[in-house]
Amino acid sequence: MFSIQTFLDAFVPLAWAARYTLLVSCLGIALGLVIGVVVCAMRLSGSRLARGIGALWVSFLRGVPLLVQLLLMFYLLPVIGIDVPPLVAAVVTVGICASAYISEIWRGAIGALPGGQTEAAQAIGMGPATIWRRIILPQAVVMSLPALVNELILLVKASSLVSVVGILELTRASQAQAATTFRPLEVYLAAACIYLAINLCLAALGRWLEHRMAI
Amino acid sequence: MELSVLQQYGPMLLRGFGITVFCWLAGTVLSMALGLMIALAQRYGPRWLNWLLRAYIEVIRGTPFLVQLFVLYYGGPLVGLRLDALPAGLLGLTVYGSPYFAEIFRSGFGAVPHGQIEAARAVGIPEPSIVRRILLPLALVSALPALVNFSIILTKETVILSIITVPELMYQTQRMSTETFRYLEANFVLALFFWGLVETISRLGRRLEARVTRHIERG
Amino acid sequence: MTQAASVDMTRINKFYGPFQALRDVSLHIPPGKVTCLIGPSGSGKSTLLRCINFLERYDAGEIRIDGQLIGYDTPGGRLMSGRRLREMRRDIGMVFQQFNLWPHMTALQNVAEGLERVRGLPRAEAEAQARAALDKVGLGDKTANHPARLSGGQQQRVAIARAIAMQPRVMLFDEPTSALDPELVGEVLAVMKQLAAEGMTMVVVTHEMGFAAHVADRVAFMERGELVAAGTPAEIFANPRDERIRAFLHSYHERNAFEV
Repeated sequence: MFSIQTFLDAFVPLAWAARYTLLVSCLGIALGLVIGVVVCAMRLSGSRLARGIGALWVSFLRGVPLLVQLLLMFYLLPVIGIDVPPLVAAVVTVGICASAYISEIWRGAIGALPGGQTEAAQAIGMGPATIWRRIILPQAVVMSLPALVNELILLVKASSLVSVVGILELTRASQAQAATTFRPLEVYLAAACIYLAINLCLAALGRWLEHRMAI
Repeated sequence: MELSVLQQYGPMLLRGFGITVFCWLAGTVLSMALGLMIALAQRYGPRWLNWLLRAYIEVIRGTPFLVQLFVLYYGGPLVGLRLDALPAGLLGLTVYGSPYFAEIFRSGFGAVPHGQIEAARAVGIPEPSIVRRILLPLALVSALPALVNFSIILTKETVILSIITVPELMYQTQRMSTETFRYLEANFVLALFFWGLVETISRLGRRLEARVTRHIERG
Repeated sequence: MTQAASVDMTRINKFYGPFQALRDVSLHIPPGKVTCLIGPSGSGKSTLLRCINFLERYDAGEIRIDGQLIGYDTPGGRLMSGRRLREMRRDIGMVFQQFNLWPHMTALQNVAEGLERVRGLPRAEAEAQARAALDKVGLGDKTANHPARLSGGQQQRVAIARAIAMQPRVMLFDEPTSALDPELVGEVLAVMKQLAAEGMTMVVVTHEMGFAAHVADRVAFMERGELVAAGTPAEIFANPRDERIRAFLHSYHERNAFEV
């Protein structure tokens, strides 16, 4: 029988473990934003080599499942002599994976800007650096905010996979809890509820941003 | 990798590949069908059903696939749902994919200009025929890129089935690598394999898209 | 106002791949006068206008603003440096068909941006001058509005203010009223007339034959990338010698028959 008590009891320890879920996804998106800018700039640059590398980066990271990327990273690091805590390796992998999607989000936002705005700036004699800083980037960042929130939601869900490499986040914690209580149904449902709560909050944030932008 | 390793593990990997492709195809078809039913029920069904399906969509999209699989595979037996890994995985894929497909179909329906439905009503075509002959074909065409895109995402999600011991390619590769200690090489080859697969599917998707939209004016 | 400049175009040629968009166009734009470019769509008049501030690169010929070559270091030579081109563009105002206001800035910021970033004025000074420019186009009370909160006519007037605030010596208008609802055309044309009366050199690509006939000092007719004729409005409109102009005006009158 489904035990409400077990279900409720599971919440507190799991919610506490969820801080690692948030940590991995937030640091992951932060890293993804930084690398994503570079990749996006490469893909829009005049250099053919840079464009090629950027395209390869995006294609590989979007073509390979995150789970495979995680294992690859974990087996690769010791081989090339880098010794970092698993949490760092996990965050870096998630961030690298996110950078591919984020660079595409930004490329899309920049592409969606009407070309006339750049021309109007050129016509009054603005230089390229000023045009990027004052006209293109402010709008692209604002336009891409809802998509970035959406990406964060995806990362919260994707972060469940880092449980496989031993990070004690929400999913891993619920596995442990399920094993000790022998009540997997209640425990996993409780974990699902916590994920859902986090993501519904993020989705509300995204809608609010979108609504504000529409004005 | 030496030839002997491949000789030894080849059949196993091949079987894993078969199961991966099977899971992907069956999972895509089943979740697409369920998604279409959800979208149609939302459009034509009563309001309470619409709300219920809305909640289903939000819950499934708000939770990780892995956790859904755990609930189903490890939690299922507690309520009498006892499934082997493979059927559980397929059911999981179907449930997981359906809300995304439902949303894709919903926006596909939304993209059909209302005037084209009205034109059909004006000449007296019965409503079910309008759905079958006008709404669905037009919605499918405009939804095609998103459908292809999500089926690519499902390709990648199949590797998660290995965690609940579905013997697909990822599972077999890990088994091989623990027995041969070739972790890095095995996963590298696996990554290349998926990269190639996803690129191939998206290329085929683009070709299909070009084919079905050849009569449609682009705005 | 700063000294109005002249524009001299000599044998301008422009290609898009194999397609020749401009064919040996030579045209003198006198200082302080209004020159209207008219002709069927696709005749190259917008392309020619965009060559004047080198938003469009011309392939052969020369364009001089008050005698200074734009776009190239020497006729047929190397492209001029970006910095030098920007300096020249400061003196050439441009108004676009689609306004091209920056949607993330208020009307005031749209106008002040160039003064601050290009002319290098301090913020307060830039905003004071921007306010004056907006006053001039009759929008002194809309300075805090974002473009989305302005009508098309108001947006275009902000765009004109943005251009004139830079104190240009030539103003280019690329179909400034074509994107406007008919009832909003008048307010924009009124601002342009006022500007013309102040002695600004203006080059206007337009489909408003009334404006061309009544405000322009000179009218140039283009077709298929060629300059067919240029002259006073009377010469072009009253008794056009070229058959192509007659055909164009005839179809224009047909479409607007009830006005005649």
